[in-house]
Amino acid sequence: MGSGSALQTDHVDKKENTSKLFTVRLLTPGGAKTIRVSDAKHIWDAAFDQGVTLPALCHQGWCLTCAGRIEGTGEVDQTDSLAYFPQDRNERYALLCTGKPCSDLTIRTEQAVAMRRNRLRNRLPAPYSQGLEP
Amino acid sequence: MPQERVVPPGDVTQRVGVEVIRARGVDVDKLIRMLIANAGAEFASTYYYYTILRMHLAGHEDYKEICEDARLEDRAHFELIVPRIYELGGELPNDLPAFHDQAGCRAAKLPDPPTAVNILTLLLESERCAIRSWIEICDMTFGKDPRTYDLAARILNEEIEHEAWFIELLAHERDGKSIPGGHFRRGEPGHAPYSKNASFYIGS
Repeated sequence: MGSGSALQTDHVDKKENTSKLFTVRLLTPGGAKTIRVSDAKHIWDAAFDQGVTLPALCHQGWCLTCAGRIEGTGEVDQTDSLAYFPQDRNERYALLCTGKPCSDLTIRTEQAVAMRRNRLRNRLPAPYSQGLEP
Repeated sequence: MPQERVVPPGDVTQRVGVEVIRARGVDVDKLIRMLIANAGAEFASTYYYYTILRMHLAGHEDYKEICEDARLEDRAHFELIVPRIYELGGELPNDLPAFHDQAGCRAAKLPDPPTAVNILTLLLESERCAIRSWIEICDMTFGKDPRTYDLAARILNEEIEHEAWFIELLAHERDGKSIPGGHFRRGEPGHAPYSKNASFYIGS
């Protein structure tokens, strides 16, 4: 599953003890915010723990509500996401609720509508896209 | 007092029922989009409950019974909310794959391998997605659109119950732990006390 159940947190906590830490700069509509994120932790969760609440809905890497866009270089591990396509990666979109940093990053947040349009252009699943033009 | 745009007498192209909630701050287009996504998730989950329940929980008759209630209640949720989409001026996509692709939660396809633990994990996370989706509708409509709020809150009540059921079953099946869901038995399958406005008490 994309987001582990509340009954399975032990495994995640142990892994975090041996993980790398990265700096993630979030460009939010309210201004830039910098957080530290381990490579074992989802960016959304780390932001929340550090006082930055980002949009999200399903928390499973499906609905695209949490979408951000990577600016410059850097990669996000999206293996915990229920759906993430090469066409998402090509356009530098990231699902922060289930994405883990592989490097330092700068991410523009609140890109759900843009990511949904990209999905529609590529004829891919685009939750909450009724009425949106590609 | 919020004032809505006046709909001329006899005008069938506009709805007072829409204008009054727009005047109170509801983004009606966004609400329709979200209701369609939620309806898609309920529709898909009902479908996939059929495959998961009917084909792959053999030997777990107690789990089947619980899943049967959840399946029929998800169907009730779909049928409860679809009329509201049309009342608001929206409509379901005229294409089933398009409807599926707009769903707010992923379809609960059969896991590989289809063990009881994997199936219960999948169903638990499906219910959690549903809870998050419906409470978003409640937040959007609270104090502004009492009709949608009432429908969404009824569905949310049952989704929260479903989560409790699957926590109980998964904890038992996977971890050998007792985490009671706290529920009494439903009446006949698909009882849906909240979304069908049925009695909570059966046979009393």
